[in-house]
Amino acid sequence: MTQQTIAVGRDVRAEARQRAAELRESFTRRGILAVNLLSSPGAGKTTLLQATARHWQGRRRMAVLVGDLATDRDAQRLAPLAPTVQLTTGGACHLELPLVERGLERLGELDCEFLFIENIGNLVCPASHDLAEHLRVIVLSTTEGDDKPGKYPKAFRTSQILVINKTDLLPHVPFSIDAAVADALLIQPQLRSVAVSAHRGDAIGDWCALLEQAHSELILNGHVCHSNR
Amino acid sequence: MHELSLVRSLLAQVNRIRSDRAGLAVDGVHVEVGPLSGVEPELLVSAFEQLAGDFGMTGTQLVIDEVPLMANCPSCGTVTVEPVRIRCPICGDDGVTIVSGDEVRLQSVTIQCPEPEEQAL
Ligand SMILES: Nc1nc2c(ncn2[C@@H]2O[C@H](COP(=O)(O)OP(=O)(O)OP(=O)(O)O)[C@@H](O)[C@H]2O)c(=O)[nH]1
Ligand SMILES: [Mg+2]
Ligand SMILES: [Zn+2]
Repeated sequence: MTQQTIAVGRDVRAEARQRAAELRESFTRRGILAVNLLSSPGAGKTTLLQATARHWQGRRRMAVLVGDLATDRDAQRLAPLAPTVQLTTGGACHLELPLVERGLERLGELDCEFLFIENIGNLVCPASHDLAEHLRVIVLSTTEGDDKPGKYPKAFRTSQILVINKTDLLPHVPFSIDAAVADALLIQPQLRSVAVSAHRGDAIGDWCALLEQAHSELILNGHVCHSNR
Repeated sequence: MHELSLVRSLLAQVNRIRSDRAGLAVDGVHVEVGPLSGVEPELLVSAFEQLAGDFGMTGTQLVIDEVPLMANCPSCGTVTVEPVRIRCPICGDDGVTIVSGDEVRLQSVTIQCPEPEEQAL
């Protein structure tokens, strides 16, 4: 018997990342922009998707995979507005690729330009999982404090768009949009940001314009600027 | 807490390496974890202790090295950066690319292998 040390030097998630890259490529070929939405619980991901669907009604086609620990509440809110499939994690704090793949089977023929994946409300675990998205969007609401980017650097580093939500509450909470954006830019200088009120509908057009621009880039160049390292 | 699923994947990879080498017991698994790896080393250890038995690795030692966040600066080369201020500490350029410290890296696996003549028998 001998003892051998075998050098490996590989990211444990390399295989999962490779599978995600292949799925992303298949979205690209079909002209579908995949968007992974991250936030803390209750920052307004579902409300933002409802507002987005209403804004695009009859003009742009979207579908949604919505993650939830146990209930189908978010799916019920979205189903009247866009084809929606609920992904139940059974308590897990984030979505992983196999769950997304099963959800896609249930969505059937994807006749859309935008596929949204609403992740579980959590700024830690979801940041480590590539769900085959072209764009990772982080939603930060004004009630959470403007010091959050530095506390969750991985989520902010790996995102391309920052949505600051609940701007209607700014008169009531100590939150500076400039401070939050500045803190986020220290971690990801390429981050684009937009401040909205998903509830009132303020600046939803600006948010949708960012998505439409990314979709055009995808069609034109076959990729969207991806800066997650 | 997503360390469990990560450790399950890690143990499956280690098992594949062991069977490729016709290895027997796995003595040690060595991983590197950085500030942007998205895992807590302590949670990684407890997940490993919880799951190792399911993969026939009761008693296998998990060694975790905590490494800094390293990036490549276009002008200065490889530099260490702060996770909350990702820019080159020398020239201030924020157009750096992270090269390590943002993943969980399986560095090496130490296994017991039969001697070549034992294997032939
Ligand atoms: N005032 C205000 N409230 C909002 C806004 N957007 C969402 N909300 C409220 O915030 C609460 C949470 O919104 P959701 O859309 O369910 O948030 P979520 O991120 O999908 O939540 P989880 O999926 O549970 O993580 C709800 O009561 C919304 O009505 C906003 O722009 N302004
Ligand atoms: Mg929701
Ligand atoms: Zn430099």
